Amino acid sequence: MKPPPPNALVNKLVALTLALLMFAGTLGLGAVWVRQEIFQAANRSRGLEVQIADVERKLDEVRAQVATAESVAILLEKNQSLRLALVLPREVQVVRIDQDPILELARKRNAEALLTASISRNSDAFAFRIVPAAYRP
Amino acid sequence: MSKGFASNSRMALLAVCVLACFTAVGARLVFLHVIDREELLKFVERARRQIVVEHARRGTVTDVKGNVLATSRSYVVLGIDPEMLREEDTPKWGDLARLLKVNFLELDRNLRRARAASQVALAGNNPETKEKRVRYVKLADEVDERVYDQIMDLRIRGVYGSRGYKRVYPGGQLAAHILGYINKENTPVTGAEKHLDLYLKGQDGWIESEKDGARRELAQFRTREVAPIDGHDVVLTIDSVIQNILERELDAIAMKFRPKFATIIASDPQTGAILGMANYPTYDLNNFAKAPIENQRNNAITDLIEPGSTFKIVAAGAALNDGIVTPFTSFDCDQPTVILNGKERKLPKEDHAMGTLSVAQIVSKSSNRGAAHLAIKLGDQRYYDYVRAFGFGESTRFPLGGEVRGLLEEPKKWDGLTITRMPMGHAVAATPLQIHMAMSAVANGGTLVRPQIIREIRANDGSVVRRFETEKRRQVLRPAVAAELAQMLHNVVKPDGTGNGFDIEGFEIAAKTGTTQKIIDGKYVNNRHVASFVGFFPASRPEIVLSVIVDDARVTGGTAYGRAVSAPAFKNVAEQIIQYLDIKPVRPSTRNLLATTGGAR
Repeated sequence: MKPPPPNALVNKLVALTLALLMFAGTLGLGAVWVRQEIFQAANRSRGLEVQIADVERKLDEVRAQVATAESVAILLEKNQSLRLALVLPREVQVVRIDQDPILELARKRNAEALLTASISRNSDAFAFRIVPAAYRP
Repeated sequence: MSKGFASNSRMALLAVCVLACFTAVGARLVFLHVIDREELLKFVERARRQIVVEHARRGTVTDVKGNVLATSRSYVVLGIDPEMLREEDTPKWGDLARLLKVNFLELDRNLRRARAASQVALAGNNPETKEKRVRYVKLADEVDERVYDQIMDLRIRGVYGSRGYKRVYPGGQLAAHILGYINKENTPVTGAEKHLDLYLKGQDGWIESEKDGARRELAQFRTREVAPIDGHDVVLTIDSVIQNILERELDAIAMKFRPKFATIIASDPQTGAILGMANYPTYDLNNFAKAPIENQRNNAITDLIEPGSTFKIVAAGAALNDGIVTPFTSFDCDQPTVILNGKERKLPKEDHAMGTLSVAQIVSKSSNRGAAHLAIKLGDQRYYDYVRAFGFGESTRFPLGGEVRGLLEEPKKWDGLTITRMPMGHAVAATPLQIHMAMSAVANGGTLVRPQIIREIRANDGSVVRRFETEKRRQVLRPAVAAELAQMLHNVVKPDGTGNGFDIEGFEIAAKTGTTQKIIDGKYVNNRHVASFVGFFPASRPEIVLSVIVDDARVTGGTAYGRAVSAPAFKNVAEQIIQYLDIKPVRPSTRNLLATTGGAR
């Protein structure tokens, strides 16, 4: 049997070395690519954080402005400047009723209508009678 | 065999050189990585490492209806780096001046001066001058985010801002003494801001990472990131509208009577929840630095006054509660002296001759001698026990702290006259809140509760972290006695009472007038008084306790009586609160009966 030519081993070694170099190179490039990706992802994430912080800051700003606009002192100022004349009612202006207000209003209207009818002394006159929807047969 | 291009000696020399180079590199590496490692690492840490603190957002303070009373907002301090300013940006300075609302000529002059100074410093050869280069000139103190965005859109090189957070109080002076404020050093000073700081401040976070030469963060080298935890929101029991009603009434009192101080407190007797607590003088929370320190005091809890006749509820309530008198038991209130422990003691003077009065009349007519008789019947120790039970001489445990306990001596330190003077509110000192809470106990069926100012603590997601419930302190009077006393107090505003004319039809005002002479230089004086009107309504179904206390009111040509100074304010406030809270009357008035029947007979 013939021994292998002496340069075949060298060729194998050279090929293996080249393969090793390529593998190492690929690993190196991969590592660089991964690091670059990490860098970009981190920067994107930081950018988003800045944007979120910005939005939150603006929300705070708007909330503060809304709160100021809604404060009692400002509303009272608006009431004056716009001449709305809005005031709390006084007790003398308030009519308190314990029953259903619809019934009460109907009763009051009927009483007024009957009174008008009796005063008019006109037998042909008729009086309106308001019956709330809930009480119609 | 060929000898090649180099001799053995040359090869050896080359090998030695290469080896020496490698050895040198190795040695340097040993120095860098082993010997100088610590020092170099410190340098790198200093140069590249950074810890950025992420500030937590401070929680807001709202009233019971959710109206914001205190919140935080960011602002921008605008500045320039004169060395970075460019000539081609000068046409934009006009827009900058317009946005900052400053005079253009002034801004132009300042910017040119700063730029010229920086150029001189840069051009000079003197290293000292170079060290004094100006890299920052402030342009504006507090610029809104919106305006700052517009300024940034101008793209003027060298103009930049640094952000900060400041506390804003949308209501200005509304509830100033309750809210307190945060000073320029970001330290909460008084009120809710200080005492609830633990809940409000949150927890700052931080980011450990590295920075590049331009001081920009290298986010990929972040090693630790701790997120900030925002502060909780605090909901107070205060109602902004009621608070505003009280403050406007105080403004009217201040304008009319120019008092030393005045306090109005409104609360719910059942829960002890303070709906409003206003003081005069007051201050604007957004301009706290301009307010005198006296204006920042919450007089309702820090100032001591003699309660005067409002204190008679203690003697009357105690005597009724112990069963030693009934509402109809009568006393001769014309007798100027009384025999006490075998000695004749002078009784206090009355405004006018009172004759014989029942216990109910002692309260409604505010008889000093009658109250003294009731206390004498109880005895020193028993009377003292009741005074303590009503909460005098001890803290009300007001949740925001800062209150004083008042002055109440033990019976062993009393002189022979104390038992005759204390029932009319002398020889004892209390805060307006103590007087208010004592009246609140009568309105609450005889139960003394702790005043509440915090309703709940909420997390950012709106969930309730902690709710503050009603805290009963003690049962001072039996409910039946409290109801009896309430009806006696209602008689105060009836024709024979000292508060005649201050009832509100259908709402059964139950109150007690008080007019105390002030002690000046150790003596009671006749021309300076503390006027008070403390009560609740409706008497048979108490929903609101209200106190109006005015110290040293100036009444032209008259005395600052409680009925003249405080009672009208009490009625004004009560009428508004009734409408705002839609409190139903106890008895419908004749007018309402007529109105509901449409006038039909």
